[in-house]
Amino acid sequence: MVELAPRHKYGLTLTVPVMPASGTFGYGDAYQDLVDVALLGAVVTNPVSLRSRRTAQGRRIGVRGDAFVVHTGWPNPGLNRVIRTYSETWERLPIPVIVHLLASRPEEVAQTAARLSGVAGVAGIELGFPATISVRDARATVEAAANEGDLPVIAKIPFGRVERLAPILAAHGADALTLTAPPRAVLPVRDERAGAVARFMRGRLYGAALFPLLLDTLSYWARRLPVPVIACGGIASPEDALACLTLGAAAVQIDALLWREPALLDTVARALVQPQKPDSVLAESSTEQPGMEDEE
Amino acid sequence: MVKRQTAILRRARPAPPFWEIHLALEQPPEPGAYVLADLGGPLREPLFPSEIDSAGFVAAVPPGHPALRLLPGAEIDVIGPLGRGFRLNPDGHPLARLLLVAQVGFLPFLQPLFQAAPAVALVVEATTRAQLPAPTRFPPTLELTLVTLDGSAGYLGPLEAEGAVPSGLERAGPRLRELIAWTERACFAFELDRYPALAQCVSEVRIQPQADLAQALVRVPMPCGVGACDACRVATQRGERQACVDGPVFDLLAFRRE
Repeated sequence: MVELAPRHKYGLTLTVPVMPASGTFGYGDAYQDLVDVALLGAVVTNPVSLRSRRTAQGRRIGVRGDAFVVHTGWPNPGLNRVIRTYSETWERLPIPVIVHLLASRPEEVAQTAARLSGVAGVAGIELGFPATISVRDARATVEAAANEGDLPVIAKIPFGRVERLAPILAAHGADALTLTAPPRAVLPVRDERAGAVARFMRGRLYGAALFPLLLDTLSYWARRLPVPVIACGGIASPEDALACLTLGAAAVQIDALLWREPALLDTVARALVQPQKPDSVLAESSTEQPGMEDEE
Repeated sequence: MVKRQTAILRRARPAPPFWEIHLALEQPPEPGAYVLADLGGPLREPLFPSEIDSAGFVAAVPPGHPALRLLPGAEIDVIGPLGRGFRLNPDGHPLARLLLVAQVGFLPFLQPLFQAAPAVALVVEATTRAQLPAPTRFPPTLELTLVTLDGSAGYLGPLEAEGAVPSGLERAGPRLRELIAWTERACFAFELDRYPALAQCVSEVRIQPQADLAQALVRVPMPCGVGACDACRVATQRGERQACVDGPVFDLLAFRRE
């Protein structure tokens, strides 16, 4: 058992510290034929906004080596329709549902958080922020979600903003933090007909190469933050997940790598319910973190 | 939808401008449907059938495709069959007349339908004559109409264009309309941005066409195949739809302009 919201009145308890990342798993039932959801700790939904959002124009996927960039614009039918469509699914799921909200203005987040309180099956909110959000706006958004809703609030910190945002949000209403959202990236798009770079696409970067960056973030921050940390970014195996837990993460999120291998979720979940010896994952060596060697 | 191992049955062979690979699969995808194959890249690759046989199916892929690195006997992991393919006779009546219309790069998607009715007409559009496949590659029963954008062979395209043409050339539009009036079903395979104009052609010829009279295969990236990632959403008259699960074959008239 893992408690992701120890300071919250209801808490958010997971039997297994594994869940899909927002934007990768739909709203709970998309992978029903391929993933045994009952093995997971929770489901994190695709991002939801108060009002409906249309899909982005232009190129959606760009691949470079083992990494890829995704640009969807977070299309969704809006909160009310999502609740109407999926609340029965959420109620049926044997695990908690965490609804990922696109953090817009604090007033809107307050409305959405209040609306989600009491929806059967929903056990928590994860807030996703624009990559360039100010500390003041992020704090106001988290406070709005925490004050207006009854649900535990997880703040998903934009990549590269952990130092600025994580301590503040942990001190002002976030019950847990997800470290981190995917980095933003730009890829050139070739015009196949002209055979040249015609334009660029911007989007979220995914790939196993993000994993060392995640470990670097966790190694410093996981034990310095006063709330549980959920690790997210490039986790591609049970060993990766164990490494995150060893460095202090309370749980892990599997991101878009699950599109290639949906069974990764089951595999990691099964591995993490086995009795673990975290120190066996990384060779024990130096000072601050288990298994962490000195910096160069 | 299931995940299973499949095997490459024979070495890839050229079918210009494509290469064909033969995969063993107990339940191959229907024409227009697909499987997602793990070919070693960060994302699965969709494979559509260009031929279906008792052992599995043949997929036509472009040069350089990761599937071409695989040798006979190699095992690959596929998810599928996925998506909704072409719906030729949903009410059970055998189809007598079928029209297939494709740009040349998308021709393999329609290839499994070449003999799907006693009378099949195929319209192929290419930029220029050199891109057109040799007529001998098609079944002799197929009524073939060739269209080029530069007028170097067959009718002058694009299919949906109207207006005056240089002497000695003939526009493809009237021929397409004639075939649309003739057919019981029409299957299109083009870039998505061509469909509004092609839908307009169909709605001008057929009064109150039945659902799925004309169907359009949409090729957009489909990384997850199950409707989870939202990368394959396309705008239709009934709102946005996910190509991976609601398609990739849609009613062409869903792409009509408002």
